[in-house]
Amino acid sequence: MTKRRPAILVLEDGRTFHGEAYGSVGETFGEAVFNTGMTGYQETLTDPSYHRQVVVQTAPHIGNTGVNDSDDESGRIWVAGYVVRDPARVGSNWRATGGLEERLSAEGVVGVSGVDTRALTRHLRERGAMRVGISSVETDPRALLARVRQAPEMVGADLSTEVTTAQPYVVAASGEHRFTVAALDLGIKRNVPRRLAARGVTTHVLPAGSTVDDLLATGADAVFLSPGPGDPATADGPVALAREVLRREVPLFGICFGSQILGRALGFGTYKLGYGHRGINQPVLDRVTGKVEVTSHNHGFAVAWPGRGQDPGAVEVPGARHGAVVPDAVIETEFGGVQVSHVCLNDNVVEGLRAKDVPAFTVQYHPEAAAGPHDADYLFDRFAELIEGRTHSEGRTHA
Amino acid sequence: MAYPPAAQSPPPRQPSVKVILASADVQRVVDRIAHQILEKTQGAENTVLLGIPTRGAPLAKRLAARISTFEDVTVPVGVLDITLHRDDLRRHATRAVGPTQVPPGGIDGRRVVLVDDVLFSGRTVRAALDALNDVGRPASVQLAVLVDRGHRELPIRADYVGKNIPTSLAESVKVTLAETDGTDEVKLYGGTPA
Repeated sequence: MTKRRPAILVLEDGRTFHGEAYGSVGETFGEAVFNTGMTGYQETLTDPSYHRQVVVQTAPHIGNTGVNDSDDESGRIWVAGYVVRDPARVGSNWRATGGLEERLSAEGVVGVSGVDTRALTRHLRERGAMRVGISSVETDPRALLARVRQAPEMVGADLSTEVTTAQPYVVAASGEHRFTVAALDLGIKRNVPRRLAARGVTTHVLPAGSTVDDLLATGADAVFLSPGPGDPATADGPVALAREVLRREVPLFGICFGSQILGRALGFGTYKLGYGHRGINQPVLDRVTGKVEVTSHNHGFAVAWPGRGQDPGAVEVPGARHGAVVPDAVIETEFGGVQVSHVCLNDNVVEGLRAKDVPAFTVQYHPEAAAGPHDADYLFDRFAELIEGRTHSEGRTHA
Repeated sequence: MAYPPAAQSPPPRQPSVKVILASADVQRVVDRIAHQILEKTQGAENTVLLGIPTRGAPLAKRLAARISTFEDVTVPVGVLDITLHRDDLRRHATRAVGPTQVPPGGIDGRRVVLVDDVLFSGRTVRAALDALNDVGRPASVQLAVLVDRGHRELPIRADYVGKNIPTSLAESVKVTLAETDGTDEVKLYGGTPA
């Protein structure tokens, strides 16, 4: 292998790391975030929620299993840049159809390898996610730093329109068709319709600019708000749509960004986490059952704990650390009572909302996994049951 | 046709030697311990590294150098001689007492990380804890070792371990460092032949 070109990584606060070019040669900017998953780099790279983010992998060896044709979560790589410590010299797996670096180069993703990712991650953890630049063409860190500071920030970024599908498409139920769901694509991952299809749900995926009537015109029994990138404070369109869905009492489920949208629709605030949750082993307490799930996360923003004033996160939940079922306060909203159904046990961040009086619930984490553990797969069953309950009680039928 | 030669008595058994950590591995392990110290001490805040001679002293210096590379903080380094606190002092011939170098600022009220090459019975560390008494009163004491080979005889454990090597008592572990021996290496001698 030829010697790699030197590359530099410069953070917004001036900290510089030296490494070698990985993937495409060039220059890129984004928000530096770290992902703690030991596996699933292909799913991470193709997850639209990483749009405009430079992902630092804390796992030191990346690329060991190459890339394959079936693990993509969308049609392309979305990360703005990629930071790894030791890229695999040889990728090897029976499913692999190519090498990771070749794929990164082919899609023009600028990366850097040979970086002390442990020191970098610690820096981000202590000082928070910040803008970053990677360059294998610029050698002067000061020049790159000036450009990093001109790059747009993640706060206030409205990105879902950049990642949404151009045309509506349908993912058919596998086996017997039971329900139809209209999904608002704000950066959906392929595994969501797949998980729904496994439960007899046909999913109509619609572009981010769709209206409630567009969604319901598909004959949908329920609405799904997808995960996606960006600052939920900018998502006024989807929030208005969610409010209309709640008003009409159409069953609603949302994941990640979709959860933040439900939070805003209910009148709660959202805020940016210090360094976010990105990984596949985050413990989450289901406050309804008292069970703890190990879950896949990818969010830099979260819903502010409702009814606690201006202090956003970091709320001490009595007994939460010990897995105790917390007698939960019901927060009154204009759509009736709402409970915080799930909470992250690492930092007590709101991870799920459940409306008591309207058929709506969301989670901040990723029950569709990909990559990650399948502990939370039951949430799709819960969604199917919710739809079933509504369609029966109202006597609505769909072929 | 000659018959094959009669079987000879087997050659004398060579004591087996196995390289556990080569030079690059030692470097990697020291790097990792430096990271761990940073993470467990809130960025090496109010922390002093004290190496236990012979090989703990250069190890402590290396850790401090790596820590300052990673996070741009300077950690004071010193040497803690434990000779007079050994519990086997009277059983052996007279030993030379080495120098104890406490960094300026002392250790009072600070977090001391003791650094040694091999953790075995725990008696050296016990002696080091005694020796610390003569120097001051640290806020807390932690222990970093390059190798933990087990077989503790005292209730002592390390906070940072470069490499756990499960050993039998018939085996011995030898650490060499560039500063004292010319090369970085951890070797395991003896034990069951391959």
